Formats: sequence, C-alpha cells, structure tokens
Amino acid sequence: MLKREVNELLTQTGYGTPGGDLFRQYWLPALLAEELPENDCPPVRVKILSERLIAFRDSEGRYGLIDEFCAHRGVSLWFGKVTECGIRCAYHGWKYDVNGQCLEVPSAPEHNNFASKVKLTSYPLVKVGDILWTHMGHPDTRPGLPEFEFATVAPEQTYTSKRWQESNWLQALEGGIDSSHVSWLHSGGLKTDPLFKGTKGNEYNMGDLKPFFEVAEADGGLFVGARRNAEEGKYYWRITPWVMPSFTIVPPRGDHPVHGHFWVPIDDENCWVYTFDYHPVRALTTEERDAMKAGHGVHSRNIPGTYRPEENKDVDYLMDREGQQRGETFSGVRGIAQQDASLQESMGPIVDRTKERLVASDTGIIKARKKLRAAIEALRDEGATPPGVDPAHHHVRSAAVVLPQAESFIDASREAVAVQPGMAHSTV
Amino acid sequence: MTPPIQPILSNSCAKAATAGEARYRIDRPIAGRAARIVALDEGAAEVVRRVAEQPWNDARFFVFKAPVAAADGTNGASADLVLQATDGSESRLSEELFDADVAIVIATSDDGAEAASTIAKACDRQGIMAAGLILGERLEVGAAVSALRPYAPVLLVSDDEDDVSEVLTALRA
Repeated sequence: MLKREVNELLTQTGYGTPGGDLFRQYWLPALLAEELPENDCPPVRVKILSERLIAFRDSEGRYGLIDEFCAHRGVSLWFGKVTECGIRCAYHGWKYDVNGQCLEVPSAPEHNNFASKVKLTSYPLVKVGDILWTHMGHPDTRPGLPEFEFATVAPEQTYTSKRWQESNWLQALEGGIDSSHVSWLHSGGLKTDPLFKGTKGNEYNMGDLKPFFEVAEADGGLFVGARRNAEEGKYYWRITPWVMPSFTIVPPRGDHPVHGHFWVPIDDENCWVYTFDYHPVRALTTEERDAMKAGHGVHSRNIPGTYRPEENKDVDYLMDREGQQRGETFSGVRGIAQQDASLQESMGPIVDRTKERLVASDTGIIKARKKLRAAIEALRDEGATPPGVDPAHHHVRSAAVVLPQAESFIDASREAVAVQPGMAHSTV
Repeated sequence: MTPPIQPILSNSCAKAATAGEARYRIDRPIAGRAARIVALDEGAAEVVRRVAEQPWNDARFFVFKAPVAAADGTNGASADLVLQATDGSESRLSEELFDADVAIVIATSDDGAEAASTIAKACDRQGIMAAGLILGERLEVGAAVSALRPYAPVLLVSDDEDDVSEVLTALRA
C-alpha cells in the first residue's frame, strides 16, 4: 500500500516532475537501431517521458532526437524529408540538423541570420548494441554511456526487441521484480518454450512451488534471490538484479540465452518494454534467434510493421479459454510477455496503490519502491546522483546457482553476479 | 470447438482497462492487518521501540525475552516464547499469534536465531505470513542472515532502519 502522493511521485515522469527528473539522470533506450536503418531514412516519431520527439539519421550517419514540431507553425516534422544533413519541414521548408539547430528558413532574406537564432530542444542519440539511447537531462550531469553486458557483447551474441505496453512503467517494472508470479502465470512456458525448456533448473522450479525470498542491497539497486529446495542440504537460488531505474535481468536456465528488460515511460499511461536475450560467450543460434523473432521466451509476437503485440487489449489478448482449461497456459494468454502485459494493463493505466493488499512475499517490490522514492527525494532535495547512473553499476549479471544451505546467496555468488567478459554465466 | 467469444465494447479489455472505468472499481474501506513485530536482540529492540511510537492499525511490538521452559525443564525444545511488549507487559508468543495476520522478526545479530526458528515454525503451523528484516551492513550481519534463513520465507537485509516502517506500512500493519 502506498499513499496517493507517493504513488504519484513514483509514476509521474513528465518534464518538471520529481520522478521525471530522476529518469532524466539516466541514459534510456529511445528506439531500436533497426528503426533508423540507413542514412537519410524516414524519421520516426518518438515519445519518451511525455515529450514528443522526432528521431532521424542524417546523410552522414549522425543520429538526432529533437522536438517533433517545427518552430515556425508547430507542424510535425514527421512529414519532413531527411536530406543533406538535416530534416526539412514539409510545410515551409525550414531545415534542422541533428542538434535541433535551424539551418535554413527559406522565406528569410538572403544573408539573414534568423535561422541561427532558432533551435529546437534536442537530446543526444547514441547507438550502443541494438539500441539508440538518449539522455534527456542536463548535459552537465550526463554520465558515461551504458555498459550493460547485453548491449556490449558482439552483435551475433545479442538480440533485442520491443513492445508497447499500455500501462504506467512502474507496474510493468514491478512484474520484473516480483518472481513469485512465475510459478503461476508462466508455469506452462517452462515445459514447452524453446528458450526455456530442458534444464535442471526447471526441475527445481517445478519441484518446489513455495520459494523463499531474500532481498539484498546492490550499488545500483537490488538483488532479489528466490530460493528453492535442491538436493539434500542444498538450495537452488535464482538471483535477479534490478538496476535503477528500470532494468532487470531474469536468471538463466541452462545454456539458454539470458534475457531481461528495460522499461521506459512513454507517458504516464504507456511504456516501452525493451526485451533482450544474449549469451556472454557464444553467438545466438539461428534457431534461438528465430524463436525470439517469433515471440518465444520473453519476446512478443508483434503486428507486422509495428511494435504492438498481436495479443493486445483491443482483441482481448486473443484469450484462449480452452487452452487455459487444458493447462497449456495459466491465464489463457499466449506468450510470457503478453501474459505479463495483459494482467498489468488490466490494473488500469496507473494502478491505485492505495487499495492494494501486499503480502510478505512482496518485500522486493516494497524495497524497490522505497529506493526509488529515496532516490527521487535525494535528487530533488540535495541534488544527489541516484544509484544506477554510474556505468559501473551496469556490470551485473543474473545467476542461477546451487549452494549449500548455510551459504549466503549474495556472498557466495559475488563473482556470479558480476560481469566477467568472456566468462560464461553461472547457470543450472 | 467452442467459437471464441468476440469482445464487445462494454465488456472488452479495451474498455475495462481504461482510466475512466477505474472510477467504477468498488471502493470500500480496507481493514488493517494484525501484525506482530518481534525484536530478536537488543539492537533490534531499540529499533522496535522507536517504530512502535508511530501510529499503526493493529500492530503490536515486542522484544523476545526468553524461551518458555519445556516440560522437562530445558529450553531447547521450547515451542513458545516469552515476549515483552514495549509497555513492559509480558505475554506468550502463542497468545500473540492467535489472532495475527503477519509476524515480522527484526534482528541485528544472530543472537535470536533460535527464537526466530520458534516463531517461524509457529507461523507455519498456523498459516501466518512471516518475514524477517535484518538491519546492518551485510558483511556485519552475515551470521544473523544465516541463522534466520532457514526459517523466514522472506528476508530483507538492509542498512536502513526506515525499512521497518516501510514494510509495515505497505502491509497495512
């Protein structure tokens, strides 16, 4: 349960809000690199943190993320043409570069310098891995580029997709921290999904449906450990890192690729879910990549040409009641991604947390909210840099390990949860 | 095969999940939870005494005093504990758990591991939610974490005393 004002503090991310100021400390995924595939390709509308922007790639390959609307009459630059190192408005031909600087005002007299005085708001747009990242805060506080392992391994070792989720970012993130729903909502996937099935860890998962949870502080956020009984005298631990504000990695299963998410607010009632799969030491196989593109694992099956899942609220998520009765899925919705999204969207665009009834196993969520609130307030009141901004905080892995019962999951797994380039991940 | 039911406007997910429809969610008062908070050591007792001064719904705060002597006169196999409330009165764990919804043990050292075990087992028998909060730097409270691990279905290790209030508030204690 949260007080109304705290719920608003955590869920509002528009310009000038305390939560928005927090998000503007970080590099955030703005769009997939595939959306701007070549120089002078069509521009893409982007909305992040309730700001309407246009992304484009100029004639020299530079990426730009600028105010969507022309300074002249407020026309959307989405209708514009990307040409000769800029984007030209379709209405009167005003032209802007990737920094939002107006280069030409065709109606102005020759040798007039009016254009040099017009500049649209712009943010940096940088490719790291499969993603174009932006930092929407003050340039003076711009941190080093993201160093998440999924984004820095070789291209053949990683795959990223994205989907539109019609809910506030926080209820989506909380699903990533709450491992207790996995044994219920996603129980069907462990047996059948090509990106999950056939591991020893699954046997532990299905053999003990009442996991114990342990939550520990991390420099960039939290580690949430879920423990189940393994062989005599041992526990099977699944360790999920959360890096603030909205990045989580799911613990691995066998030699399957490791997956995770980055949730980015579009506005207060919608978010992008960037979903990745990567393997630290080998290329993804063709079969794995095909499975990801087909919406298996934690990816979604999107309507062709869009990033909207086929199982969306307008079609009741293609609810399959017979499959639900047969036990193929627990909720009747296909695919792990949309199993999560359908339930999180059903909470309403911004869930009213004054009315919830949390239980002890929600302690990870309680602690994450507390850390977010503390970071927002420390930034607002003292200008303190929040956890997760420092790229060193990105050097974490999820892990699945079997440990003697007496051992601390976090102390015994210190190496397992740290990125070691070229070294395989710890998995069962 | 049963033909799928087609969504129509009035009961479709597209309509039901809107902000507008949220106005029609049933809104009745939600009762607080009967929470029993037990400090397992002296460091935790200081925290519990401070937290107890805040307003709560139905939370009672205690410090573990001693195991109830077993029938054979030893303490080892005790299934009950003597608890001391923050007002100094004493009661038994079994009495306090009788109408409890959730029990939370607070520790700063491994002194109270055996008491934690007794509380966790009693909660398990009676179907009461249980959680453990261990306060202190992780490296300094490792022994306490190890001691409580087998018994607490949920453990939070934190160096922030405010987490006690945060968890209790979230649970409607």
